[in-house]
Amino acid sequence: MCPTDKKSNEPENPSRRRFLAGFISFLGGLIALTMGGGGAVYFLSPAWRGRKENWVEAGPVADLPEGQPVKKEFIQRSMDGWVTSESRGTVWLLRDKGSLTAFNPHCTHLGCPYRWDPDKNLFLCPCHNGVYDKSGRVVSGPPPRPLDHYPLRVDNGIISILPQEAEA
Amino acid sequence: MKKILDWLDERTGWRKVKEVLLDRHIPRGVNGWYTLGSVTLFLFSIQVVTGILLAMHYSPSPDHAYDSVRYLSGEVPMGRWIRALHKWGATGMVVAVTLHLLRVFFMGAYKYPREVTWLTGVGLFCLVIGFGFTGYLLPWDQKAYWATTVGAHMVDQVPFLGSSLAKIMKGSQELGAVTLARFYAIHVLVFPALILFLIGLHLFLVVWHGISAPPEKLGEEEGRAPDWKSRLQQRYRDLKAQGLSFFPYIIFKDIVAVTLVFLALSLVAYFRPAELEDLANPTDTTYNPRPEWYFLSVFQLLKYFPGSLESFAIVLLPLIAFGLLFGLPFLDRGPKRHPLERPFWTLAGVAAIVGLIVLTVLGARAPLTNPEVKTDPLIGEGKRLFQEFHCEYCHRLEGHGGTVGPALDNVGMRRNREWLADHFRDPKKVTAGSKMPNFRLLDGEVEALVAYMSSLGGGTFTAQAPRLYEDNCATCHKFHGVGEEVGPDLSHIGQYRDAAYIASYIKDPGPLNKDAAMQGFADQLTPQQIQDLANYLYQQGK
Repeated sequence: MCPTDKKSNEPENPSRRRFLAGFISFLGGLIALTMGGGGAVYFLSPAWRGRKENWVEAGPVADLPEGQPVKKEFIQRSMDGWVTSESRGTVWLLRDKGSLTAFNPHCTHLGCPYRWDPDKNLFLCPCHNGVYDKSGRVVSGPPPRPLDHYPLRVDNGIISILPQEAEA
Repeated sequence: MKKILDWLDERTGWRKVKEVLLDRHIPRGVNGWYTLGSVTLFLFSIQVVTGILLAMHYSPSPDHAYDSVRYLSGEVPMGRWIRALHKWGATGMVVAVTLHLLRVFFMGAYKYPREVTWLTGVGLFCLVIGFGFTGYLLPWDQKAYWATTVGAHMVDQVPFLGSSLAKIMKGSQELGAVTLARFYAIHVLVFPALILFLIGLHLFLVVWHGISAPPEKLGEEEGRAPDWKSRLQQRYRDLKAQGLSFFPYIIFKDIVAVTLVFLALSLVAYFRPAELEDLANPTDTTYNPRPEWYFLSVFQLLKYFPGSLESFAIVLLPLIAFGLLFGLPFLDRGPKRHPLERPFWTLAGVAAIVGLIVLTVLGARAPLTNPEVKTDPLIGEGKRLFQEFHCEYCHRLEGHGGTVGPALDNVGMRRNREWLADHFRDPKKVTAGSKMPNFRLLDGEVEALVAYMSSLGGGTFTAQAPRLYEDNCATCHKFHGVGEEVGPDLSHIGQYRDAAYIASYIKDPGPLNKDAAMQGFADQLTPQQIQDLANYLYQQGK
């Protein structure tokens, strides 16, 4: 039997064929869009979900000497996804002429930990000889920008900082 | 454009592939029942997509599995929907694959020349069940833990090899970390590889033989014709010539069915999210383990085989059932495919279906041995934190713990939630000179600990509670000398029921006690009043 036999119900009707093909693409697209959309929101959401502010106490203002940066260590509890973790962190705190600054302890060049040299009155980074002055400005070396600051607030004489990496 | 397509055709032969796959003719008479295979394949692809997404927020270890599932369904956008899709998709797959199997069974489509297609199909059916079993351990909640415990014990009953098999399954003596990692690896690596191979083989055979034509009555004479194989092939060629091409006519039916299924699945997933029970607790004695619905028939069947016959039910019956399934195309041969021309097999099939349905329904309606106590998940979370921070080093609770801080047995009655929250955030703020360290708790942790502490001592009741009792309960129940004795005396209710149970009983006794003469008070009392009354009965009834 050939396809043109009268019993054959193959309608050689191109417009019906086109309509069905279009309908298949439409429904298939709809499913793919719903599933893909939901999946995309799920997968891409880290891009727009903000992080929770997690302030941590860094000791009383009164303990800070005037004009000399002090390194403070702190322990911070935080949620890392579904895991609660405690991490140790450091911050350089400076009380200078009535203003308080919390420096991110990483060099802005490649993230090495710098130190304060009280004799030279400068922050020195051991990796590529980045040098900053007391206010965090670059004195010499490769760092592309001044030292980053952590947000800082004072409640009842206690300093709280928000240690977070600056958004790129 | 045409040049590119030609270039590609020379290298890949895609035109020929398209012709074989899409332009092939499907025999006349193929109807809606034939969409079940496509629906199953579609549901499988949903499981693949949702499964991959879930794996991005899952940690297969007992100390993180539960939290990661809670995180992904509570905090990740669309996470709740995607997890529900995976759960309901699994249910859908069991349904679709079973219906597909029944369609093939009743139409006799497993017969010559499609015996191997049937074998791969039964293999796929087993894998789907295996996916279900390995999948529901992964959230590591109560249901996960206890259902798998039961499964492991069933394997343990197998004669001779049982205990070794159970250990292999669990990966160690106990159900725990190794079991979870093992099940995870099997669920996301081993089974997917096997199922992809079998699906590939199954689909290849479907295309190779062509979709079976609907069965026709042959009559006695033709049923015995010695050249039935060549006649059958000829008849199939005729029907195929009269049929439509796979694309777009058959695919159209498939995609309509698939869309309806997807719509239903999405809506169910949206309105009935997958549950997460309390964290798995091996010491719990109040839990009612219940398997997933597709194992309820086995669950019910086991009740009929006491003691020594148990291994018969666990080993022999499934062995016979699956032996029959795999052996079917070799037991039922010959050209007759119409269900009415194979009365024995048709009746056997119907009997098996009825049996499975009856067992499943009986299993689903089996009364719960333990009262169902709905607990607040936050309280469970608080309990875990209590252990994690070793609060018992300083505080006494239920006879255990240190005496540096106050005992906590009735702390829920002594302190309100605000006080507790302030206390956890900074102990020295509410109690000057407190020796308790500031744990720098996160907001969620404070909330959970407050919920747990408030639950200790059953929670506080108000001065209105005794009055509520007199107005609503005293006509039937005696409580420390107040009230009539129509119903049970409640004077010591706190010794054997907790406040949550009492509250849900007052609200509606039906689910907890089928024979209760008491009616529910959900209409007469507000939820706060019911809780107040429950706290009062629990506290004063201890």
